Amino acid sequence: MPSPDAAALARRRWARAGAVYLLLLAFSLLFIGPFLFAVLSSLKDNPTEWPPRLDPPQLEPRNWAAAYRLGKLGGGSGWFGAFAPGAVVPFEVTYRVTPEAAAQGITTPDVRVPRRVPGAGAGAVRLGPFASDFAEVSPPEVASRLVHTDGSVVVTWRFTVRHTGDETVDRLPLDVLVPRGYEFVGATLSPNRVERLGRVQSWNSITPGVIPYVLYNYTRVFRENYSRTTGKNLFLTWIGNSLWIAVVKVLTTLAFASLAGYALARLRFPGRQAVFLVMLFSMMVPGQVTFISNYLVLRDGIFGLSRLWGMPTLLNSFTGLILSGLVGASAVFIMKQFFESLPRELDEAARIDGASPLVTFYRVVLPLARPALGALTILTFQGVWNEFFWPLVVLTSPQDKFTLPVGLLMFRRTYGVAFDWGPLLAGAVVSALPIVVLFVVFQRYFVEGISFSGLKG
Amino acid sequence: MAARAAPAGRRGALRRPLLTERAQEALTAYAFLAPFLFGLVVFFAYAFVRTVYFSFTRYDLFHPPQWVGLDNYLAIFQEPRFLTALANSLTFAAVVTTAQTVFALMLALVLNQKLKGITFFRAAYYMPSVTSSIVITLIFIWLFQRTGVMNYLLTLAATYWQMLLAFLALTALVQAALVIAERRRHLPASVLEPSLLVVAMMVAAAATAGLAAAGVVRAFPRQEPVIITWLNTRRRFPDWGAPIPLEAIMMLNTWTTAPTFMLLYLAGLQDIPRELYEAASVDGATPWQQFRHITVPQLRHVSFLVVTLGLIGTLQMFDQVAIIGDQAPLESVITLAYYVYNNVFPGGALPRIGAASAGAVILAVLTLVVVLIQRKVVER
Repeated sequence: MPSPDAAALARRRWARAGAVYLLLLAFSLLFIGPFLFAVLSSLKDNPTEWPPRLDPPQLEPRNWAAAYRLGKLGGGSGWFGAFAPGAVVPFEVTYRVTPEAAAQGITTPDVRVPRRVPGAGAGAVRLGPFASDFAEVSPPEVASRLVHTDGSVVVTWRFTVRHTGDETVDRLPLDVLVPRGYEFVGATLSPNRVERLGRVQSWNSITPGVIPYVLYNYTRVFRENYSRTTGKNLFLTWIGNSLWIAVVKVLTTLAFASLAGYALARLRFPGRQAVFLVMLFSMMVPGQVTFISNYLVLRDGIFGLSRLWGMPTLLNSFTGLILSGLVGASAVFIMKQFFESLPRELDEAARIDGASPLVTFYRVVLPLARPALGALTILTFQGVWNEFFWPLVVLTSPQDKFTLPVGLLMFRRTYGVAFDWGPLLAGAVVSALPIVVLFVVFQRYFVEGISFSGLKG
Repeated sequence: MAARAAPAGRRGALRRPLLTERAQEALTAYAFLAPFLFGLVVFFAYAFVRTVYFSFTRYDLFHPPQWVGLDNYLAIFQEPRFLTALANSLTFAAVVTTAQTVFALMLALVLNQKLKGITFFRAAYYMPSVTSSIVITLIFIWLFQRTGVMNYLLTLAATYWQMLLAFLALTALVQAALVIAERRRHLPASVLEPSLLVVAMMVAAAATAGLAAAGVVRAFPRQEPVIITWLNTRRRFPDWGAPIPLEAIMMLNTWTTAPTFMLLYLAGLQDIPRELYEAASVDGATPWQQFRHITVPQLRHVSFLVVTLGLIGTLQMFDQVAIIGDQAPLESVITLAYYVYNNVFPGGALPRIGAASAGAVILAVLTLVVVLIQRKVVER
């Protein structure tokens, strides 16, 4: 038998732990890397820039300070900028002029406030006052001038933009055009876009405020999408819809799954086996198999019953969506398994004492089921919040009836056409946020639920 | 059953009249079950029967259904789009189930450690499983854009492939040398001994840097990035394989489902008795032999469960196809589930409920066959 010395073995154990951690980290990167990179890119002006960079100007503290200061100068709050009557906004841009260009004399840049709508999609349709109607740009003056030994000249120009009208607008876009041979060095605020081979530096707003500057795509998601019929803010409405449906479904699921689970686990009745079998069967069959009939049932208001409360059809209504999914089979299954794991003596004793099944259930069994109900709450909320197929079928119009996933599909169509990925990623991040928070807080419940009920599409 | 009958009998002797109590209990049970049964009967049983009925009719939602017998089934098996959907679904199910099972087992083996902070890693791994399909698919479409991250990584690989290759080869060489040296000294060292691997990788990295400085290996800076059209293409890779967009969805789905199944494997791994491994190492079994002859057979039941759940899940793949939508040609991504949906809401044309229902029935039958096979195997 070989006898390796203890120190070598200990060393090796350490090295092995290190290697395992490295491997674990590599796998974590594989699984959360795309999310992290998507979050980072949702801050960028162009999330599909080439090559993809990890340091967008939105993450530079220098720009945060500038955005705050300029937002205040524009008449806004610093957090949310504006361009208000009477505002005078000073701005500086610095260029390096190559020796060849400098030899022909230095030209003053052409500074303009363009009449620009923000991006594609619904936002492009919105008409409103434009900053270009009120803005007056002073002629740029040379603020500093440095001649380098190689003959190139670094020039900083200063100008102001003055509000001459009487209406406040939320942004002040700016374009600076320079001749060939002028390289952009820096500005009071980093530009959002560079166009025409570097000859145009373009800002979405030079009075942005911190939040619209750093979270530009997020503000677009909330500001650009309004319902054409009701004028409601679409994204906020979708969040509200999803939240409302999730809360109601969590409540119905908790109530009805525990009742049904208890009946299946403890009570004897004819047809028990049949119900259980159909339930198992329903958990396996894909939703696409049954949705045709379900769609028709909702269209006709559940055999005309919904006329009783004045709804001729349940399509495009939350009532229909909720009624068709009061309680899922897997939720009943989880509760049944849980009740079967409780000792039988507990409710047996109560019933021998003369308590009715309802009292036994309510007084004895339900209080014991708190942990299971907790897990079920989290799982149901997650399931409903993420549900895509059935809401897509039931809720088709108007747009302010959508849930968040259906709304995001609409975003995919409107923004995706223009390859305008900023608001798309921002919308995805916002809609993932509640689940990520829930997951971090209640990780254990998720893990239990996944091992209980199997899978997700 | 017998165990349940006994207490019932005892109670029956204590209390009379028995019948009314039984009837009462049954009534209570039905009352408790009512809301659940309403959904189960109306939105599942009735719906299922009706889908089967529709599959024998010609129906467009506006005129009453007409009985046509088996016509729909005969027709869809001559319809190219249905055949594509069927082929796509089956390929998808086979490839993704295999990939996610292997990947899940691998992850579970790595995570099955008593290490500090393991809960953090588990949490990180579940992240794709808890996020909604729309969020994940949107992020994936973005990664697979023409100037997306996937193509960027490929461009990096195309630029630095010589260095990468040199690094891998050197790592293997150094590792082999280290393992042989250890074994000469009669120290136990497996082929992939992690502590040696770390050393090997560091040596290889240094050597590669040296080679690069000496100009033996070099980078190939490219004028044009590597652009692979992942989504908007009808091409297949390889030529006899699946369409490229479908392969992109395969990667996505493996990525989101593997962590879920990893969980099942982790639970299975923890149930394997330690003694088996101890006995095996006393007998001098290598780690690979232990894996092959202890871990795999002991996990047989988990594996059946994983494969069955995987097949059921992959056969009903719908969300990703619907979300990708017009970013990819329909033939390249259509699956059975989407075929059904697309025939009910064809966008402009008349709905073909008969064909959709026939497709739905075939989808259900496929699923049931998978479940029945699993039942048979587990019973044996």
